[in-house]
Amino acid sequence: MNKGLAALVVLVACQLLPGSDPVAANTPQAAAPAAGSPGAGSPAAGSPAAAQPVMRRLTEAQYRATVADIFDPGIPVVGRFERALRSDGLIAVGTSESGLSPFSVEQYDASARGIAAAVLSEAWRDQLLPCQPAVANRFDEDCATRIVEHFGRLLFRRPLSDSETGRFLDAARNTQQRLGDFYSGLEFALVGMMISPDFLLRIERVEPDPAKPGHYRLDAWSRATRLSYFITGSTPDDELLRAAGAGELDTEQGLAHQVERLMASPRFANAVRVFFDDMLQFELFDDLAKDPVIYPSYNSAVAEDAREQTLLTITDHLLTRNGDYRDLFTTRSAPLTRSLGVVYRMPVATRNGWAMSEFSERSGRAGIQSQVGFLALHSHPGRSSPTLRGKAIREVFLCQHVPDPPVDVDFTGINDDSNAARPTARDRLEAHRTQPACKACHTLMDPLGLTLERFDGVGGFRTRENGAIIDVSGSLDGREFEAAPGLGQALHDHPETPRCLVSKLYRSAVGRKTVAAEKPFIEQLNQIFADNGYRLPGLMQTIAVSEAFYAASPPSTDEGEETVAAAREAQGDPS
Amino acid sequence: MNKYHRRTVLRGLLGGAAVGVALPVLDLFLNDSGKAFAATGRRIPVRFGSWIWGCGHIPEKWIPEGTGTDFTLPPDLEPLAPYRDQLAIFSGFDVRLDGVPNKPHVTGCLGLRTGIPVPNDRVEAPTLDVLIGDEIGKGTRFSSIEVSTSGIQRSYSYRAAGSPNPSETSPLALYKRIFGAGFQDPNAAGFTPDSRTMVHKSVLSAVTEDRKQLMRSVGAEDRRRLDEYFTSIRQLENQLALQLEPPAPVENFTIPDPPPDLVLDSEMEHVMETHKLMAGLLARALQCNQTRVVNVLFSDTTSNLRRRGSTTTHHTLTHEEPVNPELGYQEQVGWFATQSMLAWRDFLDALAEIPEGDGTLLDNCLILAHSDCSIAKAHAVEGIPTMVAGGAGGRIRTGFHMAGKADPISRIGLTVQQAMGLQVESWGTRSMETRRNIPELLA
Amino acid sequence: MDGQAGFVVSNFEYALAEDAEVNGACPDGMTEGYTNQGDVFVGAPDLQRKEGENEQDYVRRLFQSAFSDSGIENLCQNPELGSPNPTFRTVSAEVPVDGIDLDGRASVANGETPAGSCAHDDFPGMNGETGIDNQFYRVVGCNKSFQSTGQSNIFDIVMLTGAWGILITLDGVDDIVNDESVEVGFYANADPIQLSPAREPLPFATYAMTQDPRYRATTSGRIRNGILTTDPVDVRFHWVVNSMRLDRPLERAVARLAISEDGTLDGYLAGYTKVEDLYNFKFGFRNATDGTGQLAPVRLRAGSSIGAAFVLGHTCEGAYYALYEHADADPDPETGRCTSISTQYRLTAIPAFVVDEETSSVNEELDAAGNRRDPY
Repeated sequence: MNKGLAALVVLVACQLLPGSDPVAANTPQAAAPAAGSPGAGSPAAGSPAAAQPVMRRLTEAQYRATVADIFDPGIPVVGRFERALRSDGLIAVGTSESGLSPFSVEQYDASARGIAAAVLSEAWRDQLLPCQPAVANRFDEDCATRIVEHFGRLLFRRPLSDSETGRFLDAARNTQQRLGDFYSGLEFALVGMMISPDFLLRIERVEPDPAKPGHYRLDAWSRATRLSYFITGSTPDDELLRAAGAGELDTEQGLAHQVERLMASPRFANAVRVFFDDMLQFELFDDLAKDPVIYPSYNSAVAEDAREQTLLTITDHLLTRNGDYRDLFTTRSAPLTRSLGVVYRMPVATRNGWAMSEFSERSGRAGIQSQVGFLALHSHPGRSSPTLRGKAIREVFLCQHVPDPPVDVDFTGINDDSNAARPTARDRLEAHRTQPACKACHTLMDPLGLTLERFDGVGGFRTRENGAIIDVSGSLDGREFEAAPGLGQALHDHPETPRCLVSKLYRSAVGRKTVAAEKPFIEQLNQIFADNGYRLPGLMQTIAVSEAFYAASPPSTDEGEETVAAAREAQGDPS
Repeated sequence: MNKYHRRTVLRGLLGGAAVGVALPVLDLFLNDSGKAFAATGRRIPVRFGSWIWGCGHIPEKWIPEGTGTDFTLPPDLEPLAPYRDQLAIFSGFDVRLDGVPNKPHVTGCLGLRTGIPVPNDRVEAPTLDVLIGDEIGKGTRFSSIEVSTSGIQRSYSYRAAGSPNPSETSPLALYKRIFGAGFQDPNAAGFTPDSRTMVHKSVLSAVTEDRKQLMRSVGAEDRRRLDEYFTSIRQLENQLALQLEPPAPVENFTIPDPPPDLVLDSEMEHVMETHKLMAGLLARALQCNQTRVVNVLFSDTTSNLRRRGSTTTHHTLTHEEPVNPELGYQEQVGWFATQSMLAWRDFLDALAEIPEGDGTLLDNCLILAHSDCSIAKAHAVEGIPTMVAGGAGGRIRTGFHMAGKADPISRIGLTVQQAMGLQVESWGTRSMETRRNIPELLA
Repeated sequence: MDGQAGFVVSNFEYALAEDAEVNGACPDGMTEGYTNQGDVFVGAPDLQRKEGENEQDYVRRLFQSAFSDSGIENLCQNPELGSPNPTFRTVSAEVPVDGIDLDGRASVANGETPAGSCAHDDFPGMNGETGIDNQFYRVVGCNKSFQSTGQSNIFDIVMLTGAWGILITLDGVDDIVNDESVEVGFYANADPIQLSPAREPLPFATYAMTQDPRYRATTSGRIRNGILTTDPVDVRFHWVVNSMRLDRPLERAVARLAISEDGTLDGYLAGYTKVEDLYNFKFGFRNATDGTGQLAPVRLRAGSSIGAAFVLGHTCEGAYYALYEHADADPDPETGRCTSISTQYRLTAIPAFVVDEETSSVNEELDAAGNRRDPY
């Protein structure tokens, strides 16, 4: 292939995906079940099938919140969690794809043992167990049953079957026989539950929809679980499970009542935080490094606080003030700590924790894209990167995917920032604008990132680079502007900005790509979001009470489907 | 021993328990852990040691040029060249004081070992060696063994404040404690399986009972993920099954000879000799599973080491000796720093001399070596020189130098604990609190 | 500058002179310390080292008897029990010395002695100035620990651990280069200094000034050609030795600081220190307290001062009498002996946000544990 042709290919390839709504129309899961296959739903001919249920691994945040809610926040979680899988831009989607390696099961086992030992310890047992045995050295079947059923229902997010109860009771009884102690018996029964797939995985199950013959829906327990992790970031509480068992989630009123109740709990804010932490890719902070000579103000405290600063800005704006989502890109709100104050060059009176402050006009900052949590994360260890920042804006906030660069690019001119003839990043990125192989994609990124060049690789303000005045003009999809506030206003006004949030929020809630059948619903959500002034709580409530959120078709379980899936894989078809 | 042979042995060990274990699973198991098996077919335990020297380093002579695996050993570490690949060298990690008054030579040492700097001797126990011992040292005769080789009764191993695990100062006393009355030949030791491990294993079996039903209820892709989960559970059962087998007979083990009577004082020549003898005894104790944890105090943190013919101690010199303007550091202090690293090599020699499994005892140890300060004349607790040596039975990676860039030194302690199998995610307090381990060190 | 500016001191050391080896300040040799541990103790004959006794045992015995037997005193806690020590050598040569002219005159010992002073020679300055008042240098200039390779003039290392710190504020600034009237504040820092990973103090950090009025001082000043000069004011800072808390007071302190374009201050803080105060914070630690404000244990105070004497190479009584001999201010109305000595510091300060409010301590947990309760 000659160079010209290669460039052409890149040009052609560098179309942004339309963004907000990556539809998984061709995935096996979304495919309409083969007609007549056993157990498959048979929706009306021509209408696309609802998505199949998913099996999602608890994320680290969900696992911790779940343990804290079922037992007590003081119960330690001692196992380690490996780096989460990010799929389709979200860890939340990765949960329905990630497997359970020997390492992770070992760690879950360690956590389970630590938690069970703590729960059954003298320090906690009186507070946490629903009953106490008559005598600890004889097996108290009634009490053991109550304990197994109590924790089993909370951990499995549904009542245990008789055989399950029997199995964990046996474990308790046999253990007591061997170790001679009631509590040790229950400790190991609890270990068994907490290492079970029904706890570690949110296994969604379907049932026929009584209202729509031939259609399926998630069963009440699966609905309660989907709802709870969406609105609270944690496991269904006792009341939600009760309502599910009583059939209250089947009624509009019953469901609305539960949604309202959960949104009023403090855990709602936690769910929002966890979602944005995922959307903003903040787990990357865990291994972000900066050159200490170039950026002496950067340290682990700055990293931690930068992450928290953006999340605080978001929850304060979206929840406390019930603000317009788009204003996140123009807000001058600045929660600060002493460590961050050094980077922002702002005073922070309090010695401990956070102080609310405002960025001045002069600061050049407006919007979360001008906070350290964005600027430092999308930079190199020793310099800023207009390209990385531009790419992140496309992918994080606009749900547009920018292709990777061709492999044979010469970066030396770009990376040598001591080059006197090219004092600023804009000068050094000239090749991106002139070489055809670069131009197609970099036109999508650099003009965005260059508007943030008044912030160095950590996010400190500057007006000059290597002595030259920094030009911060740029553009976004035809609109021209200057500097971070201009970029913020452009993002605020961009039609994809709110649509991207709707898409990511929904995909995060269902743990997969959207399917064709959901398209009308997503459009409806976009409209509702716009109509309510882009308020996040209202959007989440709309999703939570909607029928579409709980729609499902049965999983394709027959061998034929499996074979097709295997064949696709063998051909390297990633769809 | 070839792979086929190992597999046969393992199947023999598991006996009936191996029913239903697919061969690929066993492959995985052996590939991961093959090195950890001795010719006896039993798992070789992992051991932990700490090795302390006092009064820090001369940075110019100690901090390697370059980081990562591509570094040059500086003069003071040159003697350790044979162990270059089995050493991880850490410079620039700090004990963070948060305004806690720095008690010279104490705050740094205890801060490193507990994650909590204290302004006095009231250590925020336990020290990390004790935590590790609780994890890996169960069932051994001594939970840990402490020695001090410069004639001083001092120990930086604490289970609780005010009760340090006392150090042996005489090689002969050490010998008698380990190999005297009460010592049993390891190859004849009796064995009782741990009942909690048995219970734990049977609970795991219970978890898998609904396997088929569950597999039927999910889609094809999820079925594969569930299969992976059940394979991982089976792997865990296998590990527990191995723990229920009798302990390994010890290869190449002979009871050592009693050591000669030595002059026990702080003169460097004597200390080097005492240290070498004690290192040899400790290596034997580790080899035959008398303990899994040893703590060596080569020189106290206020080092009383001295040269023959001189009344001035290492510690005193750090404060009195002027900087040699040509060298840029205190020359005599530098001599002690150099000698300390020679002793460190002696200690590693003692461990590496003992063959074990496919390698040596050192391959199955993790030794954490550290001082109490970086530059003694300023009592600086920033950049305390620290090293990790050994292989920890395949649990760690070494052969690199890492510059800490003022990260809290508790990162090292956290990682070492994790490598030793402790389920700890966060360690230390205030700015020493960290949940960031050192991934480079973990295998 | 919005009329205000804050600074945190990032370097703080005594203004001295070139090493004696270079400037020839000590033709009779350097100051000598005690030759024998027993020399520090007075009042009992068996305190000399016994034949064959090793250093460690000997020192232990000395300390045990010194602190158990009330009849035994030591010269570091009671320097007045000793006598002027000729081996404590001071600078008599006229060598160029760092610092500023405090009293606006070039004093000579055999010339006229103005009221409020005692006869002494001023030094010439490093750049040809005259009348440098720096009698502290005269006392310590022949001490090896005060040479550039020594231990005594790197005490700001402790500042970098956060144990103490100094803040400076400017208010009412209309023009940073020339302003006839500005207000200048000197405060003890209530917060630990913030450092880069390379342990350099970071600019633009926020610090709270102490709320304790003893460590707060304000005075008037003026800026001419970018040089800030203040009117005299009594200041007092914190200082920590071996975990003991001490005060570093400076009376009638005058600052002369160059203000650079990047907002850094660089120059002198000079004034007079009472001899008893200076002896306490530099040599004897007699009034040192622990974190709770109680007098530190005598073992710690005496042990540290005796240890310092041996390590730094001076005799306590030698230092004490030399300080009085060269004191140049505040004559005792009865004896005429001067009781204060001119003392000069070199400092650098970098931009900082200085706030004046009580804010909870990062060390609350420690406080609760009783490990530390600072008076500031």
